[in-house]
Amino acid sequence: MDPSRSLSALPRLLCFIKTAAYSSAAVTAPTIASNSSFPLKNVTKLNFEAALSELRTHVRAADFVAVDLEMTGITSAPWRESLEFDRFDIRYLKVKDSAEKFAVVQFGVCPFRWDSAKNSFVAHPHNFFVFPRHEIQVDGPSSEFLCQTTSMEFLAKYQFDFNACIREGISYLSRAHEDAARKRLNFAYGDEMSDASSNVIRDKKRIGIADVLFKERMKNRLHEWRDRLLSERNMEFQGQEGSNDYHRQFQTIFFKMRPALTLSDFTSHQIRLIQLVIKKHFEDLCFVVVNDGDDSLQQLVVYVDSRDDKELLMQEVNSDQKEAAEMKIQSAIGFRHVIDLLASEKKLIIGHNCFLDIAHIHTKFIGSLPSTAEEFVSSIGKHFPYIMDTKILLNGNSILQRRMKKSSTSLSSAFGLLCPHIAFSSQSNPAFKSGVRVEVQVDDLRSSNWNSGDKHEAGYDAFMTGCVFAQACNLIGIDFALRSPSENLVDNENLQKHVNHLYLSWASGDIIDLSTGNRMTESLRSNRSKKYQAKISFENIVLIWGFPTNLNAREIKECISKVFGLTNVVSVYHLDESAVFVQFAKPEMVSEFLNLKENLERHDDPISVLHPLTKLFEARTTHAAGYEAYKKICSSPISKLLFGDQAEAVGINRKMALIKSETVKSQMHEAVEMLNETTEIQGMEMGVNDLSSTNYHSLRSSSM
Amino acid sequence: MASRFSSLQLQRRLYTTTNQWSVRQVRNSDFHSCLGELKNHISDSDFIALSLQNTGSSSFPWHRLHPFDTHDTAYCKAKYAAEKFQILQFALCPFSVRESNLIAHPYNFHLFPRDELNIGMPSYSFSCQVSHLTSMAREGFDFDACIYDGISYLSRAQESIAKVRIGCPTLTPSTNVVKSSSKPSVADSIFVQRVKSRVKNWKDACNSSTKTNDALLIVLEKLVVGSEPYGLRPSMTIDVCSERQVLLVLELLMEFSDDLVPVVIPAKGGGTRAIRAILTSSKEDKILLEKELQKLEEEENKKFCGFREVIDMISASQKPIVSYSPLNDFTFIHSKFLAPLPTSIDEFASSLHLVFPRVLDVKHLMSKIGGLSKPNSIASALSYLKNHYYAPIDLDIPVEATGNDHKFHGHNAIRLCHLFAKVCSVLKIDLSGFQSNNNNCLASMLDGCANVPCSFSPYHCEREDEDIKIWTKNVRKVSCRHLVFLWGFRDGMTARLLKTALEGSHEVFCEEFDVRFVDKKCAIVVFWEPGLSETFLDAINSDGIVGSLREMVSEGLRAAGYETYKRVCRLDLWEADLAESLERAMLEHPSISEAGPETVRLDINYSNDSLIYLNDL
Repeated sequence: MDPSRSLSALPRLLCFIKTAAYSSAAVTAPTIASNSSFPLKNVTKLNFEAALSELRTHVRAADFVAVDLEMTGITSAPWRESLEFDRFDIRYLKVKDSAEKFAVVQFGVCPFRWDSAKNSFVAHPHNFFVFPRHEIQVDGPSSEFLCQTTSMEFLAKYQFDFNACIREGISYLSRAHEDAARKRLNFAYGDEMSDASSNVIRDKKRIGIADVLFKERMKNRLHEWRDRLLSERNMEFQGQEGSNDYHRQFQTIFFKMRPALTLSDFTSHQIRLIQLVIKKHFEDLCFVVVNDGDDSLQQLVVYVDSRDDKELLMQEVNSDQKEAAEMKIQSAIGFRHVIDLLASEKKLIIGHNCFLDIAHIHTKFIGSLPSTAEEFVSSIGKHFPYIMDTKILLNGNSILQRRMKKSSTSLSSAFGLLCPHIAFSSQSNPAFKSGVRVEVQVDDLRSSNWNSGDKHEAGYDAFMTGCVFAQACNLIGIDFALRSPSENLVDNENLQKHVNHLYLSWASGDIIDLSTGNRMTESLRSNRSKKYQAKISFENIVLIWGFPTNLNAREIKECISKVFGLTNVVSVYHLDESAVFVQFAKPEMVSEFLNLKENLERHDDPISVLHPLTKLFEARTTHAAGYEAYKKICSSPISKLLFGDQAEAVGINRKMALIKSETVKSQMHEAVEMLNETTEIQGMEMGVNDLSSTNYHSLRSSSM
Repeated sequence: MASRFSSLQLQRRLYTTTNQWSVRQVRNSDFHSCLGELKNHISDSDFIALSLQNTGSSSFPWHRLHPFDTHDTAYCKAKYAAEKFQILQFALCPFSVRESNLIAHPYNFHLFPRDELNIGMPSYSFSCQVSHLTSMAREGFDFDACIYDGISYLSRAQESIAKVRIGCPTLTPSTNVVKSSSKPSVADSIFVQRVKSRVKNWKDACNSSTKTNDALLIVLEKLVVGSEPYGLRPSMTIDVCSERQVLLVLELLMEFSDDLVPVVIPAKGGGTRAIRAILTSSKEDKILLEKELQKLEEEENKKFCGFREVIDMISASQKPIVSYSPLNDFTFIHSKFLAPLPTSIDEFASSLHLVFPRVLDVKHLMSKIGGLSKPNSIASALSYLKNHYYAPIDLDIPVEATGNDHKFHGHNAIRLCHLFAKVCSVLKIDLSGFQSNNNNCLASMLDGCANVPCSFSPYHCEREDEDIKIWTKNVRKVSCRHLVFLWGFRDGMTARLLKTALEGSHEVFCEEFDVRFVDKKCAIVVFWEPGLSETFLDAINSDGIVGSLREMVSEGLRAAGYETYKRVCRLDLWEADLAESLERAMLEHPSISEAGPETVRLDINYSNDSLIYLNDL
């Protein structure tokens, strides 16, 4: 590489360095002009329909589709961030919590298609603004979402357009919500099929003289109108009630091939009276309410020939209304049409460190997230059979690792390193000609020359992800030019071993395989955290919270070491300022510790005052529990800022902590969970007086 | 006649120009420049109106304030919302009324809880209610303005935490040093002796005029003695290990107090790291230094408190504050700008009273006008008054020099002053005389009917009399003990159907009772005869239930008394459905029979006309 070139590239590269966590404020902000010259299709509800049909053709033709999401936050509390002592199932629970609480505000979709004629990829970056507005009434917790302050600041720093998002963002309906809405629709129109007019009429006893007069007048008017209809029946009907001109409130129109009167400018009470008159005096008139387009209701009196005709009319009206409601649901589905499109085409989906993105897609557009990672994996596999994570690819392939030269595998850094010919194409340099060529097409404009785009616009990030993937494929020996169009990228032997592998947590290197549900720890990574990881045995861990705030990890370790011996306290690790994990050398020490705590708190004699652990338990608010309590706390929908408050709110009491401590062997966890559930049900049947204690006793006896 | 005509014209002019009111829009970039002006406006005005624009109010029907809420449950609901949602816009309007002329200075502050100091404060995260944001967007609210350039803040409680965490040096007023009470131990006296000799040596060295300019010597001096210049004055740092030692050192330095100024340097994350003693040359110099340090501290404080400066300004002015829904507004203000909300409404009322002694509740004031139920929004209240009463109030808003922001949103505060002036005019309360403080009659009149800390607290209120006077016709009051919550009936049940179903099911339903739905899955039964609710609750929980009630119970019908509802609110069990919450309260937190006498006394309004049959709508 030309040294002068690499030097001049350095300041630009610096701009690409982004930290893995979105919330980090210490990002070197590139000063991007907001009117970037990068072509990007912004889609709001105003141009959604057109963009969707266009996207359909692009996705169908695509070799793969890159996606990227922008959310309103990542973690709902500091302790919900990924921690070293998180077990696999806990990591899933943390992702689940994040996906359930925060909203997706921007969704980037970028289909890539290989154009063999031009020997380059054609990318169609789309930037969808999404907002969970309710177009139709839905039940459930979707009526609010959480914003993490730092994430909002982060979005603001990159000029995110919040006004466009909230005002014009595309709404959506998940599959589950759609089903619920449809059920409600069937309920509403199923029961009342028989007679739509019956539900309003109820003759009240108190009728004033004014009402009587009004009813009489209406009766006469309707008589007149009907008689005129009948008399003119054999002639050509001329709709000439205008000559009479008694009211602009009445207007004759045709409704479903039948003559009808529109009623306007009546109060709802008057309408009700008119309905009464019709029901009482006119066999051959029928009152209907129709929805004429923009949510305004139109009341009509329709002339019907016979009873059969009346029934027919009511059926027609009902099916119209049902259809209208159906249309409304269809349009309320909104952005989910895009997800359905991606799912039905079964294209290879490319994301960068995208487990959280996939979890968001599941909870927003498919249905609520299952409680375990295994169930999640089987559910997502039904909709998206092939997902590829570029971060996995970059870290898992030795050729790519060498190419990355141990630099950060964050998206912008990888893009800058692997695709300099795209990232810096404005200054064309022969050194960059080697890479896979990518052209961008937006609407009918194709271009291969542009300045770098707006980072953290989801559409641009999706584009970068796709470029990184294309380039990575090229580097590991996939020649797009030689590839036959029928060949599926997924079947390539070099890619196959990475397909559907996602980082459950990038920091720990925990990987989940979406095709099998298997979990693994990254093999190629050779840093200390992996070795450390291997040493954690979760049954040796005790969780302590609520201790005096001036105690730090070192002091706590000292204090416990005095009782259990220096070598038996392996490590003490802060969850946050209010709680610590203490890892013992042996599992039985956990229950020993918890029993000791209980004893110390029960006896208030001088000996226990002198006990070294008294320093820790002094506050009386100090609580301790085994690792299973941590899982319970993480799975709670509550999110308090401090872990201590959270544990309190979830209601982890001492008895429960002890139950958990009995379950020393990790294999037993599952069994005990089940047992726990069954006893809970028993407890409920026995009465609600003291559920927790019965639970406790039965469990104790069973585990002895 | 002529005068009447002209005032009518005046009124018309007022309504047509509504959209051109100049409201000063304040953001982070011009926040500090507007403070001086605001201070003047506040001190010149008689009242301050305020109105908040939040990211949400309540996401689920039963989380809203209902007529069947007591003070306690209402407070719990307001507290829950205040802790969860965020203030995006704070509309403030200092105003006075002079001869039916309203002089107002409206401001709109855009807020955002930006983490300026990078310490996870003021707010790690906040909730948004989708429908609320959607309707704000429809009114043209500018979210970008808030998030890009909103003013941040720290509450008073957060400020003290932040100071500790960041470690700002604080000046200890020498008078405040408390004598260490306990007898000095051996370790203490050794410590004191050592410090004393160090300070003495250092002072002597400073006073002896042999100034060294040798860089090496200065470094050595710094290392050995801990001496370094503080500005132009020499100072030395004394490391301490405990709060006890801090006290000892401060005491010791008092002996030198003629020329030494101690500054406490806190450690990051709490506690004290060291004490710096600064040597002054004379008494005057010492006073000068102390003033300097004080000023430095104030500057530092300003950096911390952000928008709270405005709150402190309002509080310091002691002017009466006019609010339309004070419980909501002030729970938000308390939790964002003062301190976390206390658990009970009484603590809240007294804590708030210290900061804002006089809060006027316009909604409550309006209820004094006969035949008027409480309209929910300021706009509807205004239009009601306009249609029913003749109360000409001229609006006089001086156009600010920078007031080129003609946004049509953010007029709530000014509408509120307008409404307040009109209500007072209808009630024949003369606001013009307010500035002459001797108008005791006015003050007591306002306080008596609308002072919020008073009406918040159930102990010193005369609600009973008032309410009966206002709604003699349509309000039937009922003790909360006569309410029973019912849930677990089939989907699509309406109040009427449920009432019919209940009517034959048990003897208690032979007497008069009413059914009202709270949300889709939970209803309230009101027994108008005392004692029946207990009978019913006993019956439904006993083995001996028979007939259709037994049938309904086996279908899943459950019931709970008002105590359970109160427990739900107190324990923060805010599920989406009330039924779910009540169930949780019964299962997870079994009753700790504490139906004390205080709960029995509380009465709530049960307005027959405001009965909403949700499913009939």
